[in-house]
Amino acid sequence: MTELYTASGSKVHAHKADIFCRDETRVDWHSKALWALREKRDRAAGSLPEWEQLRLLGSQLKLHTLSHLAQYLEQFEQQCLSNGIKVHWASDAQQHNEIVHGILAKHKVKKLVKSKSMLTEECHMNPYLERHGIEVVDTDLGERIIQLANMPPSHIVVPAIHMKKEEVGELFHQQLGTKAGESDPLYLTRAARAHLREKFLTADAAMTGVNMAIADQGAIVVCTNEGNADMGANLPKLQLHSMGIDKVVPDMDSVGVLLRTLARNATGQPITTYSSFYRGPQEGGEMHVIIVDNGRTEMMKDKILAESLKCIRCGGCLNTCPVYRRSGGYSYNYTIPGPIGIAVGAKHDDTNSIPWACTLCGSCTYVCPTMVPLDKIIAHHRRLKAEAKRLPYGKGGYMPLVGRFMANETLMNTSMSAARLALRVLPGSLLKPFSGAWGKYRELPVAPESSFASWYNKNRSR
Amino acid sequence: MKIALFIPCLVNQMMPEVAIATLTLLEKLGHQVIFPKGQTCCGQPMTNSGCFDEAKNTTLKLLNAFKGVDCDAIVCPAASCLVAAKENFHEFDGSQEAQEVISKLYELTEFLHDIAPIKAFARPVAAKISMQMSCHGIRMLNLATPTEQMGKQRFNKVEAVLGNIAGLEIVYPARIDECCGFGGTFAVDEGAVSAKMGKDKAQAHAATGAKYVVGFDPSCLLHLDGMIRRQKLPIETRHIAQIINDAL
Amino acid sequence: MTNKHTILSALKQSALDQHAMPAMDVVANNDDLVGQFNASLNTVAGTLHSEGGLAALQQAVDELIQQNMQVISLLDGIKGNRQVPETAHDLADIDYAVIPGELGVAENGAIWVNQPSHRVTPFICENLILALAKDNIVANMHQAVKQVALQPGELGLFIAGPSKTADIEQALVVGAHGACSLNVYLY
Repeated sequence: MTELYTASGSKVHAHKADIFCRDETRVDWHSKALWALREKRDRAAGSLPEWEQLRLLGSQLKLHTLSHLAQYLEQFEQQCLSNGIKVHWASDAQQHNEIVHGILAKHKVKKLVKSKSMLTEECHMNPYLERHGIEVVDTDLGERIIQLANMPPSHIVVPAIHMKKEEVGELFHQQLGTKAGESDPLYLTRAARAHLREKFLTADAAMTGVNMAIADQGAIVVCTNEGNADMGANLPKLQLHSMGIDKVVPDMDSVGVLLRTLARNATGQPITTYSSFYRGPQEGGEMHVIIVDNGRTEMMKDKILAESLKCIRCGGCLNTCPVYRRSGGYSYNYTIPGPIGIAVGAKHDDTNSIPWACTLCGSCTYVCPTMVPLDKIIAHHRRLKAEAKRLPYGKGGYMPLVGRFMANETLMNTSMSAARLALRVLPGSLLKPFSGAWGKYRELPVAPESSFASWYNKNRSR
Repeated sequence: MKIALFIPCLVNQMMPEVAIATLTLLEKLGHQVIFPKGQTCCGQPMTNSGCFDEAKNTTLKLLNAFKGVDCDAIVCPAASCLVAAKENFHEFDGSQEAQEVISKLYELTEFLHDIAPIKAFARPVAAKISMQMSCHGIRMLNLATPTEQMGKQRFNKVEAVLGNIAGLEIVYPARIDECCGFGGTFAVDEGAVSAKMGKDKAQAHAATGAKYVVGFDPSCLLHLDGMIRRQKLPIETRHIAQIINDAL
Repeated sequence: MTNKHTILSALKQSALDQHAMPAMDVVANNDDLVGQFNASLNTVAGTLHSEGGLAALQQAVDELIQQNMQVISLLDGIKGNRQVPETAHDLADIDYAVIPGELGVAENGAIWVNQPSHRVTPFICENLILALAKDNIVANMHQAVKQVALQPGELGLFIAGPSKTADIEQALVVGAHGACSLNVYLY
């Protein structure tokens, strides 16, 4: 394998996946845990006769919104303003972080409680605020676990899915003072509840992501199971919500459709425990919404990539992806892993390898609750990389040769008959070193004596 | 019917028995079968890597092999290659002549289910088989309803075709249509993950207790065969054409 | 140009074709709404009390108070032993909160709750009790979102069961940050 590392030190997906795969027991455990989510999803989705209709509606309403996005964003802003919500616009991650810091600094905020937001991960907001002296406390249990472990999320819905309960127990023992050797999930969850309860009660401000922003209401919807977003947003008097421009939907009817599929597709629940609609600040408080582009309008310029923005971040495509389940969330060179991570992150991957972390099996596309054509988008990224001459794994060198070889019947026939002969007469031990990754993991094929074309000439030619 | 065989390069070079079975079974069914000369690769290894320029020559050569050939259908015993041929012909040649070729392209199962169903099988095949429901056949050619898709209207053309063979017991592995990990150049680019997927799939097939893994995509079968023999599992791969041919 | 104008003008270069808003014509399952609601509430780990109405609820509250529980009621006609405090933070020791539910959703067991006096009340209480009128159960979310309304400055939410998490090895634990139990009294 060539080009393992880029100049910046990133490693190709295959390299990271290879390391992940060395602990096979762990791979099996990881794959099984995520497949269990896929099975729960199948049961929940299958219980609704109208499931496929809901997917189609979700796709259509998202396409409609995206194709009228400027209009809906402006309507959303106007409605927010009339509801007493302050609206900010950020073109990129840097602007987003500066805006957030500006608001917090103005209110002399020292402690911010935050609920899960992939956008703030995308913007690397936590380290930015920490550099400016603000304590950021992630309050979703999984997020808190990885924050204490100083790791990024490895999944967009279950961010600590890669950690075993014993590892969480040890981490909590070190950081929260739980009993040594204790790894019962109930015990650990209760310990985190007590630890974070104190953080909620002493926070100066709260921040959440946004699942949907309702244009004609000037309201945002936040979905959690733990209640952490709402514990935060309703205790301190300052609440902030960051959203990508793709989160806006026209109206309540749209929310009705997406709330039916979001949790069912994510975890198999009929709906998340809390689906909270915020239409203004609490009495005497302030509510800020930060609308972020950060590359989304650029994706809109490509008809195929634009469909990635239909995504509602349920994580269903990660759970079904046979490659993600066996390579882990840290192998993708982007904040968001799995199929949707490739779709929205390929342009940021300086190893250019993540579009190839996929067999194009198409399972993700069929799982997706808004019918994002993930396999087509991933194939399209490969083409964009090829056109930009940024191919991984030495493909830029060998693909032209393969193309010429395949197009040349004589050359192909001669060399393949030599290869068949070699496979038949030479011992496997002699051939394996020359067969690369194929022979490293698999037995070499049993070679036939002749090609079908030769057989046909002998047996059917008239 | 008059049928032109489309035998992908991998089948031609490495799995001629699949092509022979396809030819023989179609002849037994009373069709006139021809094998147009000059068939090359459909271009899939290149286009699946994004390299469209590199695929163009071989794709057009293959297309030319079928242009103007007098036949009712072009039948291919490899789902993934068939899908790629359709897409790539369309990509590189917008002519009416190309469209005529594309409109006659059928994967073998699809042909035997949709176009020329088998009226009766002559011989029983006493075997338990575990079906390899390969991705492109399922999710791009609609050979069966994928497990991700919900709703009561479900179909499985593979089982519909094989179901009438006496003595044949059809079973499915756990995670029925999860990818086997072949994925073309994925098998070498992402060797570790590909091998793990292949190992899991091979073990799932073996766990059914079936004698054969039967599929419609030779490349997946070649990969699984390599995994099965490496794991020394008590199961062998067969192409659907070989099973059908045995039953006629 | 402001950031807003930069973003909106970049959208003019969108490659997407215009798409119409689809018609939301999903057929509702209106059979036995209370039964469906009960089954759904069970799957989200909530408990339904369908007999005895508000009298049963008051009796349950009285028993809790006898056990020295701190109970706050925001529901007219149900008496707890705590008043609404000045600041939200003073709700931290509430054992049970009784809150009116406006609408139930049969397909998922969710209940729409709007604007308690302190917004944090349904989350900060150790246990949550919601009261719901039998006639206010709709079949699905399409119907629910048509019936709920928010005034400016309000927080309204669908609550489906007690708070929960499965972030440690996918093991379901009821009681994460919000209420550790949910009891629903139908009247």
